[in-house]
Amino acid sequence: MRAAAYSAFTVNALQARLAYRHTIWAGAFGDLVFIFARIAIWVSIYGAATSTAMFAGVTLPEMITYSLLAGPLLYWDYSRLLGEVDTAVRSGDVAVYLLKPLHYPAYLLASHLGHFLFELVAITLPVALIIGLVFGLLPPASLFHGLAFLAYWPLSFMLLFALATLLGLAAFWLMTAQSIDWFFNAIMTLLSGGLVPLWFFPGWLAAFAGHLPFAWISYYPAAVYLGKLDPAQTLLYFALGLGWLAALLLSLAWLWSRARHRLILQGG
Amino acid sequence: MARTLTLMRELVAMFIRTKAEYPGAMVLGWVSQFASYGAMYTAIALIVTRFGMLGGWTWSDMALLLSVHLLTYSLGASFSFTQFREMEDLVRQGTMDAILVKPVSTWVYMVFSGLNIGYAGHIVLALGLMAWALTAVDIVWSLPAMLFFMAALLSGATVVCCLMTMIGATALVWVRSRHLYSIFFGFWELARYPVTIFPVPIQFLLITLAPLGFISSVPVAVLLGKPVPLLGDWAGPACLLAGPVMVLIAMAHWRWCLRNYQGAGG
Repeated sequence: MRAAAYSAFTVNALQARLAYRHTIWAGAFGDLVFIFARIAIWVSIYGAATSTAMFAGVTLPEMITYSLLAGPLLYWDYSRLLGEVDTAVRSGDVAVYLLKPLHYPAYLLASHLGHFLFELVAITLPVALIIGLVFGLLPPASLFHGLAFLAYWPLSFMLLFALATLLGLAAFWLMTAQSIDWFFNAIMTLLSGGLVPLWFFPGWLAAFAGHLPFAWISYYPAAVYLGKLDPAQTLLYFALGLGWLAALLLSLAWLWSRARHRLILQGG
Repeated sequence: MARTLTLMRELVAMFIRTKAEYPGAMVLGWVSQFASYGAMYTAIALIVTRFGMLGGWTWSDMALLLSVHLLTYSLGASFSFTQFREMEDLVRQGTMDAILVKPVSTWVYMVFSGLNIGYAGHIVLALGLMAWALTAVDIVWSLPAMLFFMAALLSGATVVCCLMTMIGATALVWVRSRHLYSIFFGFWELARYPVTIFPVPIQFLLITLAPLGFISSVPVAVLLGKPVPLLGDWAGPACLLAGPVMVLIAMAHWRWCLRNYQGAGG
């Protein structure tokens, strides 16, 4: 199947989500309340100090911007992907994908790109607009950092996709991906920097988390946007992120080649 | 009544047997949920210990808050979440019609045929964290304080169960209602923190329209002697009343939805 044909799956996922427009406001409201909680934590912590207070070299406006970037913007709903693979394996529907002239992980990428784009346009950007109007958001630290963030963003998406798909494929062996979703959620909560930036971690934990791929999903892109990495560090860490992505994609290709031969159909 | 109680026991036993068929998956589920909540609490502990306090709450205060939040949620959700989350599928596929004609209360059948023992991991973590927190916080225990604590836990769990029942029941009228859980979990996330750290409109919502403040932050603030915004001295009685009041509202909503159910499946 030609690569260009996969864009049809992206469009299809977008159209499927548009069919249930009334779910948009609920999703946006849920995201808004969620980000409000995150921001309230930092407002409370910084509120006791002066308005120009800095902790670990970071101000409150920077933390508010970080909360939005590292949270809803970069941390998309990977549970949907894991759930889809889980259902396909348990129901036996995955066999249908094997019969078609397509690459299942590539299909998942195209399809979930559609979900990501839908949520970005319909939910995340309106939420960002509201947060910007209520609290104010900072622009990128410089033109370089802004452009670098635009490069880090797809890297973050692809890393999260590769990690989630790798874990989803484990359903071929375990026959369930639900427990894996919870375990992955635990790892992401602590190590991606989505809730607590690595600069507030104890030194040893920051050093450990800063070398794992999860940090490239939320922490590094948001830190780059805020100018917390100088240009040399920005380029170095981008190259390291690409290295992680290559390693994960290779692992994914290998695991998929094994998983196809491992298939046990449960459904009819 | 005796027949209903026997039926409830049989439904629960049957559901547990189906889950116990895959003990590995069941235990893995408990452990994974334990790990997920543990990671979230570790992240909150990192923030509170790094900055000393959050809204005037120390880490031990926060640990008690988090444990009460998880315990009331898991107790209430075990009777409601997975059961009523599936309700829109039952309505859409027409399966709800078959449930409605069963010679047993629809609510009783739905709740007890899917009583979720998967919350065992939550409950173990909540009780463990609570046991530690209660030794670390400064509470003067007396019989009324102990009775208040037990009653507030029960009331909080009831609030969760009622809200989830109401969301599920909405599918009878709207066909789809699962998206409303996004709103529930948004407020549920807020209830994990002291209510005082939020702006006044959110504080108001947490004790009125989305009364999830009563599952954790309000009762724990009362126990710790911390101020409760908007409610003041009425916070204690309000915690005890929240559950029964929500039962009345949920019953009215449930009956209204059943009366207006027209079916959607074929």
